[in-house]
Amino acid sequence: MWEKVISYMPHWQVFLQGFLAFFIPYLIYKLFHVFLFVNKSNGKIEMKENSEQVEMVHIPIQKTLEQFTGDFNKDLLQMRKELGHNWDIHFREFQIGNTDNRAAIVFLKGLCDKELIDKHILKSLMNGHTEKSSVLRGHELQQSIRNEILPVSELLEESKVMKAVGKVLTGSTVLIVDGIQNVFIIGTAHGKTRNLEEPVSEAMVRGPRVGFTEKLSVNTSLLRQHGENRNLSIIEMEVGERTKKELVLAYIDEIVQPNLVKEVKERIETIHLDDVAESGYIEQLIEDDYLSPFSQVQSTERPDRVIAALLEGRVAILLDGTPFALIVPVTFNMLLQSPEDYYERWLSSSLIRLLRYFAAGISLFGPSLYIAFVSFHQGLIPTKLALSMMATRQGVPFPALIEALIMEVAIEILREAGLRLPKPIGPTMGIVGGLVIGEAAVQAGIVSPIMVIVVALTAISSFAIPQYNAGITLRMLRFVAMFSAALFGLYGIILFFLFLCSHLVKLKSFGVSYLSPTIPYRAGDWKDFMVRMPLKMMKHRPRLLKPKDSVRKGE
Amino acid sequence: MNSSMKDKITTSQAVVIIINYILATGILTLPRASVEKVKTPDVWISVFLGGVVAMIAGVIIVKLSQQYPDKTFYQYNQDIIGKWLGWFISACVIAYFFTISAFEVRIMAEVTSLFLLEGTPTWAIILPFLWVGLYLISGGINTIARLFEIIFPITFVIFLLVAFLSLGIFEIDNLRPVLGLGVVPMLKGIKTATLAFLGPEIMLLLVAFMYPSDKSKAVKVVLAGIAIPLLFYVITVVMVIGALSIEGVLTRTWPTIELMRSFEIPGLIFERFESFLLVIWIMQIFATFTITYYAATLGLAQLFKKNMHPFLYGLLPIIYIIAMTPKNINDLFTFGDKIGHAALILFGVVPITLLLISKLKGKKA
Repeated sequence: MWEKVISYMPHWQVFLQGFLAFFIPYLIYKLFHVFLFVNKSNGKIEMKENSEQVEMVHIPIQKTLEQFTGDFNKDLLQMRKELGHNWDIHFREFQIGNTDNRAAIVFLKGLCDKELIDKHILKSLMNGHTEKSSVLRGHELQQSIRNEILPVSELLEESKVMKAVGKVLTGSTVLIVDGIQNVFIIGTAHGKTRNLEEPVSEAMVRGPRVGFTEKLSVNTSLLRQHGENRNLSIIEMEVGERTKKELVLAYIDEIVQPNLVKEVKERIETIHLDDVAESGYIEQLIEDDYLSPFSQVQSTERPDRVIAALLEGRVAILLDGTPFALIVPVTFNMLLQSPEDYYERWLSSSLIRLLRYFAAGISLFGPSLYIAFVSFHQGLIPTKLALSMMATRQGVPFPALIEALIMEVAIEILREAGLRLPKPIGPTMGIVGGLVIGEAAVQAGIVSPIMVIVVALTAISSFAIPQYNAGITLRMLRFVAMFSAALFGLYGIILFFLFLCSHLVKLKSFGVSYLSPTIPYRAGDWKDFMVRMPLKMMKHRPRLLKPKDSVRKGE
Repeated sequence: MNSSMKDKITTSQAVVIIINYILATGILTLPRASVEKVKTPDVWISVFLGGVVAMIAGVIIVKLSQQYPDKTFYQYNQDIIGKWLGWFISACVIAYFFTISAFEVRIMAEVTSLFLLEGTPTWAIILPFLWVGLYLISGGINTIARLFEIIFPITFVIFLLVAFLSLGIFEIDNLRPVLGLGVVPMLKGIKTATLAFLGPEIMLLLVAFMYPSDKSKAVKVVLAGIAIPLLFYVITVVMVIGALSIEGVLTRTWPTIELMRSFEIPGLIFERFESFLLVIWIMQIFATFTITYYAATLGLAQLFKKNMHPFLYGLLPIIYIIAMTPKNINDLFTFGDKIGHAALILFGVVPITLLLISKLKGKKA
């Protein structure tokens, strides 16, 4: 009996391996834990730094409490002290009408509409319009300027010096009048903007040829222009500690989940950053899991895409200074959809969508399947194919993994280089690179022709994905798949797939499961998933967002 | 993550969990194991009856769990039979769960090294598998349920595809005569067939995780959860015996894979389909492994009223060492039979006893 038990005692190596089975993941877990912890404490330190900065910033904020006095000389001096050292700030002193009421305007050269200032503001103020104004002082003059003299639509009054300074810096004109306590802020801002163009990153055959620009007001007007919608709310927020930037949240009041809006607002409020240069910053600071390779916020240049998302109950974030709007929450299937799917008829767009899923699959697993079959499971492919593959590989000195890596890396370099080159040189690059990668590499015996086919197919597949960053994610993961295939063949690919799925089912984007509507099963949402059913059948909004009003199309 | 049950699963998720738990080694071994016992072509009737037995056991388990809808088995058995006995039974169930997960891992390693990775050491196959499972389980029951929801449709489609492709070499004569030697041999196979349906016991825990409004549907869940694997198994057994005949099945260790190897369909990109079967089979083993691993971890956490994390990592070496203990494949199959017998007692006898005791207690109170 005892001997039998002894005979079943595993070898000591098994115990060692068992220990490793525990130790390695534990180590990784601890490392991540420490890493995250350090990160958190970094965050705290950052917070402290921020709070110091806030204190430093507080000094000027204290200054903002300084009020305009109404004494022309003092006020002008105050403004000169704050702004006078700048080359692009102009001070223009004059007298109102034919009276001896002194006044001055302060404006920023280049950012404001000079014609408006010359023709409407200065002209109205300086021309001797009435005899009445000659006797008016103080409050009555103020009323007169507001009601009779200045023919401009945006006219505000401001009592705090710092606020007025801020307004001048964004292009408004400040009017200081002797004897009037407050100053006038005249909306003359006229920043440089470019024309509306078709978005470069999201081209399509059918659909509006309009993309967002760098100017926020243009972008919001594009959303409004889509059609009258009283429920479209555009809420202002501010980001950036040092460089303040305008940011708006857009959502449709009667559809969106209030909790979602609240969550987005809260996450944006936690951004304490000196300067938010692009919406990519916001994307990275509000996403759920920064360790994930998948982008959890969708960025788009297309107003129609934003509107469609809003009507499904999502929230859009638009930042001043960038044409990229953000859409949250995002699910994986959105990355494989294009607005065009809805503009074309349902059969063709369903097929195209299925094609994209197929392309995503190839882009992820193409080279790894090649590696697995060539180096492990020649028996699983048809004999004739196996023979011809082996024949072409005969002269190749490398194992399949190295062969695939050479080609994949080469094509990634080619892609990156082609992206940065000036336009006239781009095509040359493509021809040279294509030649090197295709013909020459095969003839030199470095890679096999079938490998070239696989790599080319994979590269093309990854460009068939409508979202650029989703394509990059898949390309990145492709390399992981290749390594696991090189280690464990088909088994490695299965393990990688299971690992990837485990990660994806854990991932959430603003409380919505990233893989919705695949899982949990929501048959109702599948009408707009792998296929796009006829519009007549899509009567409801996606239920995964729990919209307040779920009916899209009445009976 | 802790052992509290904030995570909830939907009815369809519960069904999918049971299906994925049941479908495991059985797909590959059931034809041989049951033919060995029955020795006539009536195996498919045995499998069918085995499924029915499993359904009865499953319903009893659900009825028991519904008595304590907010607690898992580990928590409520102490209420029924007292602290120490309850503790003991919980410990047995936990041991059962991690033993079966070790068994599944080893079977997977054996098949993989035989058909996919000749020459790769067993530890190299097992360790990454364990780690991926660990990563999944650290997300809790909801994550597991969602992963199963991805695996299940893939399994379903590929399995049916592969099964119907093998129709080409199917011969109905191999399944005749029906009940040629009477009912007795068929009855002999029922026990073996029932062992292929290990899985409904997860309902001891799952009922506690279901939404309160869905708990009344738990009986339907377990019935549906067994019916679909039953369909899979009957198809498998019929196809395998129909193609390979009784004698052919007996001489092969993994008859189902042999079936896939024995036909070729020229003209398609793939001529042989065992790789497809292996892919879904490994996924199914992964599912069974993770859910049993999770059940054991949850049990330990609730038994000691601690966080799940230390047990999650602590169980890994135990599972690994158990998996490596059987010396060869025959040892492994004997080991599997023993686990099956333990399951018959633990989940056949114990639940009905507990149910009776709790009913009696309920009447008194």
